[in-house]
Amino acid sequence: MSSDYARYAVRRVLQAAVVVLLAYVFTFVVISVLPGDPVSNTLRNPENGFTEDEITRIIAYYGLDQPVYVQLWESLTRFLSGDLGVSLRSNLPVSQMLGDVLPSTLRLAGTALVVAVVLAFALAFAVQYLPPRLGQVLRSFPSLFLSVPNFIVGLLLLQVFSFQLGLFRVIDSETPLATFVAAVALGIPVSAQIAEVLIANLDHESRQEYAAVARSRGLGRVRLFWKHLLKPSSLPVVTVIALTVGELLGGSLITEAIFGRAGVGSLVQRSVSTQDLPVLQAVVALAAVVFVVVNLLADLLYPLLDPRVRLDGGRRTGSTTPTTDPVRPQREVVAP
Amino acid sequence: MTTTPTTRRRTRRPSLLRRALGATAGVVATAMVVSGCAAGGASGSGSGTPQEGGDLTFVIDSLGDTWIPNNSAISSFQGHVWGHVTDKLVYVDEEGAVSPWVAQSWEQNETATEFTLHLRDDVTFSDGSPLDAEAVVANLDIWSAGDPERGINPIGLFPKTYTGAVAVDATTVSVSFDAPTLGFIPTLGYHGSILLSPATIAAPADEQADLANDIGSGPYVVESWKEGDNVVLKKRDDYDWAPEALDHSGPARIDTITYKVVAEPSVRTSAVQSNQADVAYNPSPQELPVFAEQGFTVAAPRYLGFVNGYALNTQVPPFDDVRVRQALQVGIDREEILSTVYTEDWLPAESFIQSNVPGATDHSDQLAYDEDAANALLDEAGWVRGADDLRTKGGETLSLTLHPNPYLATSSAVDELVAQQLRRLGVDVDIQAFDVVTYGERVAFGSPSVPAYEVTRSFVDAGTVGGVLTDADNGEDWFNLGQSDTRLVELATAVAGASSTEERDPLLDELQGYVLEQGYFVPLTQIVQRLYVQSPRVQGVSYNGLAYANFYTAWIEE
Repeated sequence: MSSDYARYAVRRVLQAAVVVLLAYVFTFVVISVLPGDPVSNTLRNPENGFTEDEITRIIAYYGLDQPVYVQLWESLTRFLSGDLGVSLRSNLPVSQMLGDVLPSTLRLAGTALVVAVVLAFALAFAVQYLPPRLGQVLRSFPSLFLSVPNFIVGLLLLQVFSFQLGLFRVIDSETPLATFVAAVALGIPVSAQIAEVLIANLDHESRQEYAAVARSRGLGRVRLFWKHLLKPSSLPVVTVIALTVGELLGGSLITEAIFGRAGVGSLVQRSVSTQDLPVLQAVVALAAVVFVVVNLLADLLYPLLDPRVRLDGGRRTGSTTPTTDPVRPQREVVAP
Repeated sequence: MTTTPTTRRRTRRPSLLRRALGATAGVVATAMVVSGCAAGGASGSGSGTPQEGGDLTFVIDSLGDTWIPNNSAISSFQGHVWGHVTDKLVYVDEEGAVSPWVAQSWEQNETATEFTLHLRDDVTFSDGSPLDAEAVVANLDIWSAGDPERGINPIGLFPKTYTGAVAVDATTVSVSFDAPTLGFIPTLGYHGSILLSPATIAAPADEQADLANDIGSGPYVVESWKEGDNVVLKKRDDYDWAPEALDHSGPARIDTITYKVVAEPSVRTSAVQSNQADVAYNPSPQELPVFAEQGFTVAAPRYLGFVNGYALNTQVPPFDDVRVRQALQVGIDREEILSTVYTEDWLPAESFIQSNVPGATDHSDQLAYDEDAANALLDEAGWVRGADDLRTKGGETLSLTLHPNPYLATSSAVDELVAQQLRRLGVDVDIQAFDVVTYGERVAFGSPSVPAYEVTRSFVDAGTVGGVLTDADNGEDWFNLGQSDTRLVELATAVAGASSTEERDPLLDELQGYVLEQGYFVPLTQIVQRLYVQSPRVQGVSYNGLAYANFYTAWIEE
């Protein structure tokens, strides 16, 4: 198994590198197809009053007069040598701009992930072990969490905890409490996705024979949950969490705007609205790296965590029943 | 106008649940704020005794794009920071009056082609280097030409007639132009004309892009900054060269100013209401009366420039007919725009330039609403009303497409209202809104698909007006006339090339009357582009001719 595993790991890492590179090129092509670029957009604002000659010379400085394939080649060789280039909008090195916003985003996304996981497990536990009528009400919570717009939750939390209770100031957006409240707003819809999978799997597991046997031996509901049901039910959750990490890192724009945070989301927003190609390429590449790495970790962990998972020429095949198949939960588990 | 500052103080603390419910109600109430409830706006001018010290927080929607001084200076956002970190050669106040600053005095020759600036001898940049004649020459050169090979833009509106400047001695600069340039001195008080240390000017673009490297001589210096998030300024203790017009000398009173980006407008104003911040930028105009009622200071200073209005394309139907243009001129109910979209802080247009521009004259009579006259003009032009009440001529419907200007937040609302008004006259109006990028690509003066270009533009000197209306001297040809209207070309060229205001003012008056009479430019309202909501504890704020809030004169009442 160990040489199989090594071959499998190498293949997955190579695939991951290709995905990141393709994402970088794809971003370039998509943005280049759009009309305009940040430099000429600024220069052509009539308030600025530039002459055509001035505009031509400045565009040449940024190399934006070159054919697209030349620009792509330059951008690609630069990327492969580890240079992310210079922002067309701010004229600052892209690596510095990313470095400025990453800590804030990591804090927010990390806290939101914890909030989401805790909330999801608490909800799933409550659904199983509260009286059925109450559990039925709680089952509708994931749909509710998903359907209440993010910004409404954010504005309400801000009104209550910052403007009314004065527990934190929106201008000090990076304090632990401010980060926590923002993370709650961001984490609620994410917790819904995790909770849905978890609840469905707990339902499935609790109908299994081994659960019935455990119950017949007089095992308490709480002990049954912790000792027998939780582990098989939460393996698929690992994959769902891996999928939501990308969402947390890139999709926090609205939360950032409301809570006055300067993170990756707001950097993306500013870069998209000005078509700042080098920054967008770098952010997409970063998102691809994170996504690929997290999923790679999940995939590499599976064979180690669950002995039922076999490796077959680098492809994993599961041998268990569909709903509990930990390998392909995203395809097999249907929302309740 | 001032509102009495009434600070609300809580005497008892309601239960958490009640406060939470109150907060929810507050959100709902904010959402239900309706336009039209009028209340007084207040200017930021101070009353009471100035106090030293304190920290000011200014929440702003954005801090713009780049900090390369030449490339950023036009931005409405960065201008707030530049105004505190740098000085200018002259000061231009809210009324467009020019007064000495770093330049103590100046002379010009008869034809306004040679200028001599006499500088103060005690001004230093914050890196210790002197702001002398050599430094001023370096600044003039970079404003005029930029350095495209280094990625440094020129200042777009700096006179193109500039031929060079010479440092005669340490405090005297002689500046030459190849044509009369009466606008030169006022331009020195404009956005872009910020004085930076020669070391900054010589630095490469990526160094200039780091705000911490941009060294000015202003009353504040940059303490720290983070791209897209905040800029913290702290006062310079040895500052002693403020413009006399500001009524304050020596160092600033407030210790630090923090500009913090908060993208969501309601969060910015709530931050001021809950005392977390002192000033909120760009609140929505309809909310202003509510803030004024609650005792907050509302400031809506006007800038110098063109009013908001349409430059009509005279080469495409229906505006190739002067009668249709004139029908539009009197067929728009400007009072209704003011009362529906804006509050009383906005003023009606009296001409196509803002009424605070020196040389602007009152042409309100040409802009008076007269629906009957508008209908008569359209009838006369051969556009007859059909069954659906729309006018047609030779099978063509009288129609018009408007493109709201994305640089003016209220533009869409104004265009919607104009569309309703014109439909009453039998004109079919379509509105096509674009984002900033697409707008820049698709909407231009004189484009066949743009019958009416919505103007919003600031300037410091009325000479600018003469330069843009026709295509003479590389003008922008706003009405797509080329030089076919000889009277317009004559007046515009004379205004642009006048060598004294005595000579220019009558010409400018005639030009305003002629452009309005021909229906080339159809004004809507005067523009207020910068809005501020301030905590009542902030006093003594001043505003320059570009409507930027200057906290050099301000203080915080504890």
